[in-house]
Amino acid sequence: MKRNFLILSLFSLLFVACDSGEKSITIPADVYHQSMDKLSDVIVHDIFSPPVASRIYAYPSIAMYEILAQNNAEYKTLSGQLTELESIPTPEEEVSYELAALEAFLILGQKLIFSEDRIESYKTELYTELQTGVNKSYFNASLVYGQQVADHIWAWADKDNYKQTRTYPKFTVTDDPTRWQPTPPGYFEAIEPHWTQIRPFAIDSSTQFVPERPTAFDMNPKSQFYKELMEVYTVGNTLNEEQKEIASFWDCNPYVMNQTGHIMGSTKKITPGGHWIGIIKIACQKTESNPMKSAEAYALTSIALADAFISCWDEKFRSNLIRPETLINEHIDEEWVPLLQTPPFPEYTSGHSVISNAAAVALTSIFGDDFAFDDTTEEKYGLPVRSFTSFVDASEEAAISRLYGGIHYMPAIENGVTQGRALGNYLVNKIELRNESLAQSKD
Amino acid sequence: MKFKQILAVLSVGCLMLSCKQEVEEPKQFTLLKNDRTGIDFKNEVTSTSEFNILEFLYFYNGGGVSIGDINNDGLEDIFFTSNQSANKLYLNKGNFQFEDITDEAGVAGSSNWSTGSTMADVNGDGWLDIYVSAVGDYKVAKGKNELFINQGDGTFLESGESYGLDYIGFSTQAAFFDYDKDGDLDMYLLNHAVKNAEVFKPSVNRKKADPDGDKIFESLLAQGEKRFIDATSKTGIYSSNLGFGLGLAISDINNDNWPDIYISNDFTENDYLYINNQDGTFSEELEQRIQHTSRYSMGNVIADINNDQSMDIVTTDMLPSDPKIWRKSLGEDKSEVFQTKKRFGYNDQYVRNTLQMNLGNGQFGDISLITESFATDWSWSPLIFDMDNDGLQDLHISNGIYKRPNDLDFINYVTSNTEANNSAKEIQAQQIRDLPTLKIPNYAGINKGSMSLVESAKKLGLDQPSYSNGSAYADLDNDGDLDLVLNNTNQEAFIYENKADSVNGFLKVQLKGPELNPFGVGAKVYVNGQLRENHNTRGFQSSVSYRLHFGLGATNQPINVKVQWPNGAIQNVEADGNQLVVINYSGSGKSENLEEVEASKILRLEESPLDYTHRENDFNDFDNEYLIPRKYSTEGPALAIGDVNGDGLDDAYVGGAINQPGQLWIQNVDGTFKKRITPNFDQLARAEDTDAAFFDADKDGDLDLYVVSGGNEYATTQIFSFDRLFLNDGQGNFRFSPGALRQIGGQGKVVTHADIDNDGDQDLFVGLNTVARAYGTQPTHHLLINPGNGNYVSQPNQISLKKDMGMINDAQWTDLDNDGDLDLLFTGEWNGIRFLENKGNGQLEEVGLSGLEFASGLWYSLEVVDVNNDGFLDVIAGNIGLNTKLKASTDEPVRLYLGDFDKNGQTDPIVFHYQEGKETPFASRDELIKQVSIFKKLHSNYLDYSGLSSAEELLGNTADIDVKEVNKLSSTVFINKGDKTFESIKLPIEAQLSNISDIVAEDINGDDVLDLVLLGNDFSYRNDYGKIDAKPITTLLGNGDGSFNYLNDTHLNTAESWGEYRKGEVITIGDQRFILALRNNDTPSLISLN
Repeated sequence: MKRNFLILSLFSLLFVACDSGEKSITIPADVYHQSMDKLSDVIVHDIFSPPVASRIYAYPSIAMYEILAQNNAEYKTLSGQLTELESIPTPEEEVSYELAALEAFLILGQKLIFSEDRIESYKTELYTELQTGVNKSYFNASLVYGQQVADHIWAWADKDNYKQTRTYPKFTVTDDPTRWQPTPPGYFEAIEPHWTQIRPFAIDSSTQFVPERPTAFDMNPKSQFYKELMEVYTVGNTLNEEQKEIASFWDCNPYVMNQTGHIMGSTKKITPGGHWIGIIKIACQKTESNPMKSAEAYALTSIALADAFISCWDEKFRSNLIRPETLINEHIDEEWVPLLQTPPFPEYTSGHSVISNAAAVALTSIFGDDFAFDDTTEEKYGLPVRSFTSFVDASEEAAISRLYGGIHYMPAIENGVTQGRALGNYLVNKIELRNESLAQSKD
Repeated sequence: MKFKQILAVLSVGCLMLSCKQEVEEPKQFTLLKNDRTGIDFKNEVTSTSEFNILEFLYFYNGGGVSIGDINNDGLEDIFFTSNQSANKLYLNKGNFQFEDITDEAGVAGSSNWSTGSTMADVNGDGWLDIYVSAVGDYKVAKGKNELFINQGDGTFLESGESYGLDYIGFSTQAAFFDYDKDGDLDMYLLNHAVKNAEVFKPSVNRKKADPDGDKIFESLLAQGEKRFIDATSKTGIYSSNLGFGLGLAISDINNDNWPDIYISNDFTENDYLYINNQDGTFSEELEQRIQHTSRYSMGNVIADINNDQSMDIVTTDMLPSDPKIWRKSLGEDKSEVFQTKKRFGYNDQYVRNTLQMNLGNGQFGDISLITESFATDWSWSPLIFDMDNDGLQDLHISNGIYKRPNDLDFINYVTSNTEANNSAKEIQAQQIRDLPTLKIPNYAGINKGSMSLVESAKKLGLDQPSYSNGSAYADLDNDGDLDLVLNNTNQEAFIYENKADSVNGFLKVQLKGPELNPFGVGAKVYVNGQLRENHNTRGFQSSVSYRLHFGLGATNQPINVKVQWPNGAIQNVEADGNQLVVINYSGSGKSENLEEVEASKILRLEESPLDYTHRENDFNDFDNEYLIPRKYSTEGPALAIGDVNGDGLDDAYVGGAINQPGQLWIQNVDGTFKKRITPNFDQLARAEDTDAAFFDADKDGDLDLYVVSGGNEYATTQIFSFDRLFLNDGQGNFRFSPGALRQIGGQGKVVTHADIDNDGDQDLFVGLNTVARAYGTQPTHHLLINPGNGNYVSQPNQISLKKDMGMINDAQWTDLDNDGDLDLLFTGEWNGIRFLENKGNGQLEEVGLSGLEFASGLWYSLEVVDVNNDGFLDVIAGNIGLNTKLKASTDEPVRLYLGDFDKNGQTDPIVFHYQEGKETPFASRDELIKQVSIFKKLHSNYLDYSGLSSAEELLGNTADIDVKEVNKLSSTVFINKGDKTFESIKLPIEAQLSNISDIVAEDINGDDVLDLVLLGNDFSYRNDYGKIDAKPITTLLGNGDGSFNYLNDTHLNTAESWGEYRKGEVITIGDQRFILALRNNDTPSLISLN
């Protein structure tokens, strides 16, 4: 396949920049997956926090979907369905929607990350391949259209309050014993304390899925809270190999700081959202989904992820709950270190629990509920493959991994799962991606 | 034949070469090669997969140097430690010829990780022994500390075990000193922990003893036994696993002739300053005496660098001075980490060297910033010695690390790019390979006096790039100047021959002490106003010779040498210069108290008569404005003094911070004060008072009270951000007059009153400094014209103020131009000293004053008085001072760029300053990105960023953004020449160590010339600027011509009176005059004036 493609490219070299080339272009679904992988790589390199990364995945995915859906009667636009999203412009000339979708995706991805040159050089190489044998003005017109849609989506994105939240106050650390405080070894400030003010994509507001209150803080050894704290400590001290493997597999911490004396280093990985973006690719490839269906999966899931982060972060900075590591070090065991490095934000609810379950609901709505898969997402970060019987199976493991990792109490996990599922179900019911009549007749 | 020709050509070439070389000035120091000296020592450190920088955090700390005359032949011999190989002893044969006698002497040592070394006569037999510290029993490091007892015949016998000093652990260095004054030498052993260096534990953990902690071993020699016992617990020193001890010095810090101890700790733990309690125990008093320390404290040295007979302390850290290196290196703690550390109970620590100047009473002020000795890169061994024999001791600091772990690209990018499926060992190996290396020259600062150190490594010939660790000085060739020896990592040791100009004389003193202490350890020697202490553990892992060296300058007079022995006995000896004098302990000298410091008796600290403590509330401005240089929520307290109840006695209003009511204190006839209950003050407690003034607002013949509000917390429209006017009923009962003022919100800083329109009532100017959440932008100041009844709301003749008055910290109505009306002089941060001329009717017009054009500063205070008695009012202006990281001149100003660089609606204040001639952002790249995330897009990594060439490269076109420029940081007197021209005279250097928050001008010595009491310190700065804390109170005597001389004020700067002063005013209590001086978050100080 790839080889043929290459030969074809070599052959077409003769016709490069030729106005007489064909006015059609076929872009295999893998090119979109590969572009998404590229975006993930840059997100990792640039060290974006999980909520910000979810925003970076969402807008390019929506742009890609909107362009492809324009040209596919089976699919409905998201405009009118997502908050403040208006219809994208239509092309004025004959264009390749597939190329325009790719272009819009890459333009927005590039705008949203820092290391622009990394996307730029990827794009240059990719387009050199794609444009061979293609009519030049047709190719360019497609890019122009991609740019128009990207501008349209960018104008929309620019009003989501992201910029303004950059100016809001940092999280204030106080002496309140229940309140979150920076954790070792980096003692980073709390990430995105005002994320609740980001405009959600499809949920009504950041407070639509407020979970149950966390267990009341109480350091009396007989209290429920203390029991839950001790559970983190005890489980953390008696992990079996599989539990350790599960915790590490779902670590998804974009920046783990390693320190030996004066030597500091970091291990960077994909975010929790990035992990689910990886699962989308696996599902698409397993089902040999075409670009349209792939775009559908990316759009719906990335919206679920982004809204789940908004909902979760709203709760995190409502309860501002202190992390188990801080309390265990202070009251129980000074030397205790959790298996995973505690990420820098309040404890309740567990982000991975909320967003994984929301994503699993979204993916289930597209690929079905008995979708078994081998999750190879973390291989490039040196972790093994894990197999799951369904998306929900994976999302439940992601949730409980946080207890094994020593970074969450049980209620943050259980109530986080509930929060994520409720949000996911709401979204898949609310967002209509297919024109039901057409879709059913095809399926 | 041919061969000869070649030779000829070669020699011609050589001649030409040497001609060329002669053009270069010969340098004072010459690096001698091993073929000249016979010293080929090299501390070769080989990294293996079992033992490397990741397995052992101090893998690249290097070795030490000890110098002393081990065979008593008059020539100084050199001992080097090698981490992994045999330690070496080189016998000095004279004329810089040395012989390796390690094997014959038996001092190679058995440890495979040696660290520091110390020469001392442990058994009191007159022969120097050698104690070598080591890392023992850690991974592959096997060994123990060893004591090599000198047999007097060129051989040594390792006797650690029999002496009880064969400690096994993580030792850095030892010092031998007689802490209990029983006549023999005890030992302090400096150790370090190895784990969790940067995971903060509550600081109370330092009280938990740990086998790996520091130790004191007590010698039983005086009790008749040649052994030591562990006396750690009974001495009361900390011996915990928090300490990462890298520096150890013994010195009499508080001039009581008992040896005290300074310990520098790397990483989180505080440094320790142990004061000898004279009873065999120590009290750790660092936080009472020293305001901040180095963060990653490495080596240290204690000596009298300013010839005031009190001991100063230098500690080293790792701040680079080259902006290119700095930009890509890990810097100061992030603000939140700094706060977290404080919550865990640690003191303020900054990533830079400190030069703690002893004020003479054991209180210290860090002058490393004013001397520019604070940034010498990854530094190890500081040494203070007189390189040029001019009588002023200089500073040398060794630096360099073979693998540089603080490289930000390494931390953020390189380490994470390792191949995922490599084994842990492979990853480790790759990371070590990827650690950057950078060889840099050491630092040498020549002391020019007056707190000036001039970096001169290159000029002196001491600038060879190296990874230098331990160092020691000694006169190796007995030619009268001090030569320098450095132990380098993976590079041959440096032997520098000093050829100091012989114009300057010298004196070397060798003490022959009492029995058991033949080298006179602990004695003090005074020559020509210089003081040397005979303690030899100095720098880093090193010890210097017991021969004390004095530079004499150009004098050739016979010299008085005064020795104070450890038992207090004084011996005086007359000696000629340019020789070694040997002084034998006579046993007959009388003990006398030498600690007398000439102290001014004019000013005294007395007990405050007000039972009042200002309580600042906890608020972190940096949570809202990450990059502002300092916070503005701690500007109080306010102070006003006046007779409010008409009894002829001064009363005082002292303001509160948020949630603390202001207080009115009424003076009783007996000079005591009683608080007057004022319900309105309590009701308005939520307002923060920053300034206050008593004046008659409503023309009813009594003093009313105006209080300025600040705090930087409330919105400008919030009721508690409004200024307040209280009216007096004539008896000192004050009632809030809510309708009298329009809503004057914002961050008020100063109020000043005067009748500016000649209508017989008091008009007001209220100046603001910052704008909440928009630092640096123009605040709205207020001119309040009194309609006659104190009802400032209704202003008959509204006079508008200029819009560009900038940040204002002080303002004064004054007739500076002698035209009979009151003009407004004002100043502030990022502002000039500016003059609004009264056109006679209260209309104000800004007029430039010649001599003030280049006086843009970070000004705090103004005092307008006639300092030279010529009938013209002069201006004394208090600035941030010169003891700050910021340096400014007209050519290289500090600039504040104000713009919304990321178009998010918030003004971004970006400060640039010049470093080594290049304009560079003050904040680190990471901090800049926190404020303006798009800056991250401009450079792909830190290396790329480090080449930043201009402000434009970062900020874009700066033409359309607001730029404020500061070119003067010194506190200055501006002498009024009478024709609207001013001549500036910089205040003495002693007045530049801290900012000056308030100025009191009084004739304190009765010569009819005004003298100055300057109040300062400001802890409100972000931790990368560092709090200003070097000195709170400074006194200057006026000379009558506008110049001032420093008056010793040590007795005014005590542990009790330290703090950050905001306001000071003269108050008469009974019939005596005092200065009442208020500190933020503390009690008032009272200084008697006569």
